[in-house]
Amino acid sequence: MIGGVLIIKDREKVMENVATDEHWKNCFSQLAPGLLLFARQWARSAADAEDIVQEAFVRFWRKRHDVANRGLLYATVRSIALDFLRRDSRRARRESTAVSETDQMVQPMFEVEDETQRALVAALELLPNEQREVLVMKIWNELTFAEIASVLEISQNTAASRYRYALTALKKNLPSV
Amino acid sequence: MNDFSDIESKLRKLRPVQPSADLVSRIEQALGEDRSTHLRQMPVRLGPTVRQASTAGVLPRERRFHFNWLSLGLGLAAAAALVLFARIQLDRPAKKSPTLAAITPSPAFSTVDSTAQFVPAGLTQVVYHTRDEGLHFPNNSEQPMRRVRSHSRETLRWRNPTTGASLRISYPSEEVSLVPVTGQ
Repeated sequence: MIGGVLIIKDREKVMENVATDEHWKNCFSQLAPGLLLFARQWARSAADAEDIVQEAFVRFWRKRHDVANRGLLYATVRSIALDFLRRDSRRARRESTAVSETDQMVQPMFEVEDETQRALVAALELLPNEQREVLVMKIWNELTFAEIASVLEISQNTAASRYRYALTALKKNLPSV
Repeated sequence: MNDFSDIESKLRKLRPVQPSADLVSRIEQALGEDRSTHLRQMPVRLGPTVRQASTAGVLPRERRFHFNWLSLGLGLAAAAALVLFARIQLDRPAKKSPTLAAITPSPAFSTVDSTAQFVPAGLTQVVYHTRDEGLHFPNNSEQPMRRVRSHSRETLRWRNPTTGASLRISYPSEEVSLVPVTGQ
């Protein structure tokens, strides 16, 4: 019975969190910049990336997944982003928009402070997608290789290899580093 | 990995662009649409993980797997009840088996349920060996009698007309018959 009482108390606490909206806001405020950066790998604009993150986070939260299961959250973002990319590609083919893709891509992904960082961002954009997404998850989202592997459905060794290849390529493109 | 520490630190200094101000309100609105449902169905996402996430600055890393001891206890209790029930069911036929082995040619099934009523459906007797053992004078009788020993197999069948189930018992039998001999 003691365990039952504790569980009821735990549930009340969770209910309080949901009722005050503090819980998801705390989670989201911590995750949002990294999630947006992750979504930008497939989105052509910041607005599209926000749409992806919004849909993924709402879907994740509604299904009441454990917030500690970050691999699942990022897998949800990736899945929605890929769907979005497919839809967006079809739409782009159908429509002749006045805004070119290059105009959309110049929207910054980072808050650059100096020329070194600018060069680093430029080198980052030259990386292959599969290396860049591992780097983004590792550096700016602090996922473990196990979590990255679960998101991408690859082995941990492959994830670690892609990470090393990405860093090697960055070093190569930035001689001063 | 030490070779990359420098570039890793430079990468970490890069700060991703912050989300727009209205993103949180959009999510809040989306979640608010099913707020009542959300509150009603609220979980079961129990344990320390959630509490840490709501209070700590950083999301917890490695507490993915945690037992719900109440569920485990209930599961074990259910499994124990199932095992006990299975044992009781297995024991019942074992108690009845001696009765079936000593059954008579006209068995009486004492069934409570009328749907389990078996009625006799047939009796077959196959004599596969007969031997004439000669004349005998049983019980000091003055009249001789011929003793005939026969081996046969009898099969009794019952059928439940309601369910269509049938029961068959087959056993070997030996019969000795004395046939009076009349002289002419």
